[in-house]
Amino acid sequence: MIPGLHHYLIVSGLLFSLGLFGVLARRSLLVIYMSLELMLNAANLALVAFSRFNNNLNGQVMVFFIITVAAAEVAVGLALIVALYRKRQSAHVEDLTRLKY
Amino acid sequence: MNYSLLSLEILVTLLGVTVLLADLWIPASARKLLGYAAATGAGVLLTYAIGSGAPADGTAFGGMFVVDALSNYFKGFFLLAALVVLLLTVDLSDTIKGYAEYCALILFATVGMLFAASANDFVLMFVALELITVTFFVLVSYDRTRSGSLEAGVKYLIMGALASAFMVFGIALIFGSAGTTNFYEIAAHQAELGKSPVFLIGLALTLVGLGFKVAAVPFQMWAPDVYQGAPPLTTAFLATGSKAAGFALLMRVAFSAVPEITAHWSRLILVIGVLTLLYGSLCAIPQRSVKRLMGYSSIANAGYLLLGMAAVSLSGSTAVLTYLGGYIFTVLAGFAVIAVISSRAGSDDVSVFAGLGQRSPILATGLTVSVVSLAGIPPMAGFFGKFLLLKAVANHAGTERFFLVALLAACVGVVISLYYYFNVIRSMFWPKSVPDLTPIAVGGATRLALVLSIVGVFYIGILPNSLVTGARQAAAGLAPQSAVAGHAAAASAPAAAHH
Repeated sequence: MIPGLHHYLIVSGLLFSLGLFGVLARRSLLVIYMSLELMLNAANLALVAFSRFNNNLNGQVMVFFIITVAAAEVAVGLALIVALYRKRQSAHVEDLTRLKY
Repeated sequence: MNYSLLSLEILVTLLGVTVLLADLWIPASARKLLGYAAATGAGVLLTYAIGSGAPADGTAFGGMFVVDALSNYFKGFFLLAALVVLLLTVDLSDTIKGYAEYCALILFATVGMLFAASANDFVLMFVALELITVTFFVLVSYDRTRSGSLEAGVKYLIMGALASAFMVFGIALIFGSAGTTNFYEIAAHQAELGKSPVFLIGLALTLVGLGFKVAAVPFQMWAPDVYQGAPPLTTAFLATGSKAAGFALLMRVAFSAVPEITAHWSRLILVIGVLTLLYGSLCAIPQRSVKRLMGYSSIANAGYLLLGMAAVSLSGSTAVLTYLGGYIFTVLAGFAVIAVISSRAGSDDVSVFAGLGQRSPILATGLTVSVVSLAGIPPMAGFFGKFLLLKAVANHAGTERFFLVALLAACVGVVISLYYYFNVIRSMFWPKSVPDLTPIAVGGATRLALVLSIVGVFYIGILPNSLVTGARQAAAGLAPQSAVAGHAAAASAPAAAHH
């Protein structure tokens, strides 16, 4: 069987849902952050598949932009999570309750 | 390619890099100079942008980047917000660790906003938004010895990254169904694309990302926490620049890329607008923290702006742009005062503003003008903007019951907001307990920023003509009015003409 466009899109949709589930269900900031990256990569997979099957390279160029931006986001994000851990000795969402009225 | 179209973006980037590098040679005692230099640079670029230096209309990067009346309108306000925020940093430079980096980050976020104003392609839109968002992750958590700031930063990080994940997936679906990400090319094919479910899902996911940026219900939950936890000057820039950039993109996507679909979705936008403004207004009532109050107020204001967009008319878009202009001055005046007081008192509870009328008349004036303008009382800018917005909604109220309900909800929102805005004024002039009445010294740069914002609020409120003319030109360039009439040919004609 030769995989077609819809196979790639199904995998991409599954990855996206899995990432979203991770963001909503997990309590560790690091795992949430990993799940977010999974969601971004789901989009990358969809873009590459669309590019390949529509013979339009623009989608692959977009993937490069997403990878670059995601790298910057991860650099800042991990730094923030580490700084928070140093301050509070915890990287769990339950502990993010200081800001309330 | 004509690089002069990008002159503002290039110059602001160079200014940011210069500030960053200059820090290496300038002694710590003279750090204030960097703030002055950055503010002066922003001021010069502002006069250049609104004066003769504004580049003529055109497109660059194969149609990705567009310079038109709308982009020039927004760029002026982004530079103005950057100028005022940079001026405000000068007197607080001793309290900001890594002052040069803070100024440089403000400038880099401004570059993102300038690109956002000119984005005419989903790819550039994404990159510009991420430049703003990632810079703001750092700016929000800049006060990293205070755990509230870090917590706000992490919350913004998770919510922001989630919103961009939705947006990227949406863009992938748009690219897959349309075969292009350019706004004009999508506009030319929107009749067929409007029938493709993949395209519509992609568009909806993209709008989730933008809805997050402007803090519209149901993507508003980050705003109060982040506004409260972030350093006050970051909050000021978040409430003005970042929000306006979100609306610039929202308007361009809605009215330039898919005007017909927007006209179909106008009721949905209206419902979101009403929910947003009622949520913001109701939740603001019990707040004690002024920054958190401003967070809810910013949600409510996003709701009013969405009502103007839902009208899908030239008068609606003009009202949105005018309102945003007035809102930027208003919020900057308010945050100038909040920044001075909260960095002095170490808290932003309403009680630390007690007796401000006697402690510092200029600060009291600034906060009063800001709050009164936010409440929408003439002759302030806030009144005129709200008047135009509600008038645009009222135009449809006679024919569509939805708009009538929205109009009533907006009026209820205005009445509720009077209560909590005047609560701030009451605690400023008529405090419950006898406060500490030592006078507060206000530095020259803060004074200048405050006067600039207050004059702006009154100027737009009393002589709004020039702003409204600019806003109408900017809105007309988007051509939403042809879509509302339902002429598919008329809507795609201006798009085709650009090729």
